[in-house]
Amino acid sequence: MALPLLASPAEGEQYRFHFDMSVCIGCKCCEVACNEQNDNPAEIRWRRVGELEGGDFPFTKRFHLSMGCNHCVDAACLHGCPVDAYTKSPTNGLVLHNADACIGCQYCVWNCPYGVPQYNEERGVVGKCDMCVGRLEEGRQPACAAACPEGAIQIEVVNIAEWKQVFAHQANAPGMPNADDTISTTRITLPKDAPALTGGNSNFVRRESAHWPLVAFLVLSQLSVGGMFFGQGWLAYVLGMLGLSASLLHLGRPIYAYRALKMWRRSWLSREVLFFTLFAGAALVSHQLAAAIGLAGVYASARIYMVPARPSWNSLRTLISFLATTALLGLALAGHPAAVWVALITVASEVERALWLRNSTEFELHQSGRLLRTELQGLLALRIILLFGVFLPYALIPLAISEIIGRYLFFSSVVPRNMAATFSAGAA
Amino acid sequence: MTFKRLIGLDNMSAKYRYASDPKFGYMAESKIPDSWVKTTCGYCSVGCGMHIGVKDGCAVSVRGDESHPVNLGKLCPKGLSEHQFLNSPNRATTPILNGQAIGWDAAIDTLVTRFQAVQAQYGPASLGVLSTGQLVTEEFYTLGKLVQLGFKTNNYDGNTTLCMSSAVAGYKRSFGSDGPPGAFADMEVSDVVILIGANIADNHPILCRHLEKNKTKTLIVVDPRITKTAMLADIHLPIKPRGDIALLNGILHILIAENLVNREYIAAHTTGFDAVEAAAAAYTPAHVSDLTGLSTQQLHRVARLFGTARAPMIAWTMGVNHSTQGTETVNAICNLHLAIGKVGVPGASPMSITGQCNAMGTRETGFSSSLPGYRKFESQVDREALARLWNIDAQEIPTKRGHAYPDIIEAILRKEIRALWIIGTNPLVSFPNYDVLTQALGNLDFLVVQDGFHPTPTSAIAHLVLPAAIWGEKEGTYTNSERRVSKVNRAVAAPGLALSDFDIFLKIADSLGVKDKLFPNWVGPIDAFNEWRRVSEGRLCDYSQITYDLLEQQGPTQWPNGSPRLYADGHFSTDSGKATFHAIEAKPFPEQPTREYPFVLNTGRTVEHWHTRTKTGEVPILESLSPRAWLEMNPLDAKRLKLDPHDHVDIISRRGRVTGVDLRVTGIIAPGQVFLPFHWFEFNANQITQSAYDPFSREPNYKQCAVRVERTAL
Repeated sequence: MALPLLASPAEGEQYRFHFDMSVCIGCKCCEVACNEQNDNPAEIRWRRVGELEGGDFPFTKRFHLSMGCNHCVDAACLHGCPVDAYTKSPTNGLVLHNADACIGCQYCVWNCPYGVPQYNEERGVVGKCDMCVGRLEEGRQPACAAACPEGAIQIEVVNIAEWKQVFAHQANAPGMPNADDTISTTRITLPKDAPALTGGNSNFVRRESAHWPLVAFLVLSQLSVGGMFFGQGWLAYVLGMLGLSASLLHLGRPIYAYRALKMWRRSWLSREVLFFTLFAGAALVSHQLAAAIGLAGVYASARIYMVPARPSWNSLRTLISFLATTALLGLALAGHPAAVWVALITVASEVERALWLRNSTEFELHQSGRLLRTELQGLLALRIILLFGVFLPYALIPLAISEIIGRYLFFSSVVPRNMAATFSAGAA
Repeated sequence: MTFKRLIGLDNMSAKYRYASDPKFGYMAESKIPDSWVKTTCGYCSVGCGMHIGVKDGCAVSVRGDESHPVNLGKLCPKGLSEHQFLNSPNRATTPILNGQAIGWDAAIDTLVTRFQAVQAQYGPASLGVLSTGQLVTEEFYTLGKLVQLGFKTNNYDGNTTLCMSSAVAGYKRSFGSDGPPGAFADMEVSDVVILIGANIADNHPILCRHLEKNKTKTLIVVDPRITKTAMLADIHLPIKPRGDIALLNGILHILIAENLVNREYIAAHTTGFDAVEAAAAAYTPAHVSDLTGLSTQQLHRVARLFGTARAPMIAWTMGVNHSTQGTETVNAICNLHLAIGKVGVPGASPMSITGQCNAMGTRETGFSSSLPGYRKFESQVDREALARLWNIDAQEIPTKRGHAYPDIIEAILRKEIRALWIIGTNPLVSFPNYDVLTQALGNLDFLVVQDGFHPTPTSAIAHLVLPAAIWGEKEGTYTNSERRVSKVNRAVAAPGLALSDFDIFLKIADSLGVKDKLFPNWVGPIDAFNEWRRVSEGRLCDYSQITYDLLEQQGPTQWPNGSPRLYADGHFSTDSGKATFHAIEAKPFPEQPTREYPFVLNTGRTVEHWHTRTKTGEVPILESLSPRAWLEMNPLDAKRLKLDPHDHVDIISRRGRVTGVDLRVTGIIAPGQVFLPFHWFEFNANQITQSAYDPFSREPNYKQCAVRVERTAL
């Protein structure tokens, strides 16, 4: 059906949101209308409103930021997806997600700098704003735009080539991650004469999910590759298979795990699955070959996490730490004295990492550091103490526990890039 | 979780399917109803039109009514999710006596027997009734007759005394009658809009649409806090708490000094200006600047804008009403409009914005602070007129109103009132000074709570709970802040044994033996409405030309007779036809900060919640958006007290303590002031508010009291 409200995008054009911060009153009609439109659980909000504040009383200003999906030109969710569940529509440029293709690996959740894709526990798959494409096709406004009492949300057609020239000035806003990474298409009109604004909840960070199946997978797979490398073939193999099984528990739809191989040309997650599948097969033939493939798998694992949307992961430190785990646990399994040196290097790198986070001026990194210095401090201390277990008999046990804690801290202390939240989002 | 879902074969796609509704288009299939039922929103008194989607007898969705003149299809976040509380597990579904479910016959019999026993022993006035602003007009009309003429007690009031009674009393004193003179359309055509103590962006968001349409206006917001509404303003006046009377007097002072008053209008249509002029002389810009914290430049600018405007309007809500001088503040506002001779003309009227969907209905039909149809208890003519209409002896009609809400509570404390019937309100969260209230309610011989929800904090302590149908489950009319009467319709059946308040009232009347006398042959709300049309005929609030059919076919209409405004001819509702000026003195608010209690506490609302959350607390998306109370504090104060954002704090007054509130450090609040929303029983602002009331309206002073803030002990 034709669109009476606005022209359909032509070749080289796409739909985008326009948000006018200067007229938004922060009523949250858009969030509620979106929830009603899609009948999502209350905690899942494909459109969200954040708060920004600046200036001193009585000249304080507070503005609101309303955001659905930015339908990026260079969508990070899409690039990382191992099962090709995302498409950028060739006709209207919308970034669309297919819940039937999705296996619930949540890699898109980590990749999006705006926190747009959200995992729906009830379904075992991710979902996201599709600009109510079904309504657009009927010539209707998306639910958020239709509900806005102030007309602060509109749909526009944009020429992609032109947008690439100007987006840096029109897509960026206080409280929004830099649009450079993915070329967000949402045009934001900022209020005039605003003071410097910060997020309404800027000092608050919530611990992220620990992802226990992934903690188990990472530690066991790295132990397995290291063990294989240092001649502990069959024991390492059994532990590795245990790790691979654990990884299935991470998926919302484990029965479709095999689909994750699909996008090996593009997605590091697909490559990780591919390498560890080959690792499992090769070990039956040659432990040396398996160890080599396994190292490639560890490398792929690390690359999964090195994404701009998760700053504390997006560092060579992630790769070094995964390789160190591989070496430390492999050597410990083999009872090799060189484990001592790797343990000491690990202690040093934990200290270096803590200093790096503390001294960073980047909000997300600094907050990760704060989490590790405050509520996670005890666990970090325990991890370091346990590393000195390398001097004890049965060193593998304290070292493995230390590594499990290390991965737990890795997951729970990451502060993702995201839009500014509301104060209440931090209420607990 | 099923096995198929666990392994991922099933991704619940059937539940999350989409389809296209014939009326509102593509949406989640689960939200597409079998039919849409047209009605009016049951939250605030903006009175938005809406449709309730009904599927298999259950309300599954809500959409705004694009044909309704107030909201043109838009709704606020509460309205957008309004159907959700209908299905709440917290609904009252059966009468309960002392914790035991009972049938209706036993419940009604118990109520009547117990009330009569108390009245027999302690006199008719020992029964008190506290009602609400949320029933339909037909129910208010019925309840008033039942209480005053059936139970013969005049100790009957509503929670409207907690929100709008100062506007009522103010209108009566200035214009001779209740009845807001203006219309929402004024916001679209006014050239200077002054909002005093009205945070409409949070509390009446749909009104912002009317303001937004008006591109040439100057919007002035008077509020001690930089509310969402203040941020919309062209001029924000960050006034000291309770600086409003000084400001209004100060504006009048400048209008007089600069010859911007309309002496012709004053002479022709008002009385009492000389005294007001004399009193205003003291409110020089310098003095007012001291009292308000505003600069003399700001005062001159605002006064000149108001005085030279083509059509200026002053609108207000709780910042004005929640005050020991609320009524007088309303009079000071009316003084300004009278002084420039602009009342009831397009774009220019004093405008009270009401909080409950049908507070207006109870003001017009109710039989608590006035007789139905804005008639006066004190007037023999009015009493006799009513007696004729009702075919009763005029002696039966009380000659004065009974106790107002706070005085009912006081009378219970003194054990003068021994039985209480609470209908559709939740005083344990909404009434000030919680400890005094709970002590009073503990004195009662018999407490009945009639509500749509159970348990609420109040129904939990009742002897008898009566389950009532609520919005979406019954028929009638609501009247909004601009006197617009809209039809309310039943979309779904009430849960369990719950009955409409109308049916409950008729059952009680029957049991009391007064049904044939007071409600002869009444079956449904339309019978009450038709009698009310006759009773209101010729009054200011004349409903005589309004019928259900007309409302259904032609949409909502304003009384009287479709008039958008009142008093445009300069003829007011006083005996002389002239409006009355009142000289108002600016007094300090009753509990000033001290060393021990250094902060001024301000209370208010947030857009996601409504009143005491009996409804919005049952809507998951609203709860998720706003799960807890918070306390706003200026960064300078937080630094001094070594407090950080999200620290948990206690707020302590002379009367009590609120514990474990999330601290919000923000520059929208002035140093020395703190703000706490009042929606939560769990963080009950009324544990610290005071028993201080307006002498005219009896409205509580919720807005300012002295507190200190401490970090919550672990």
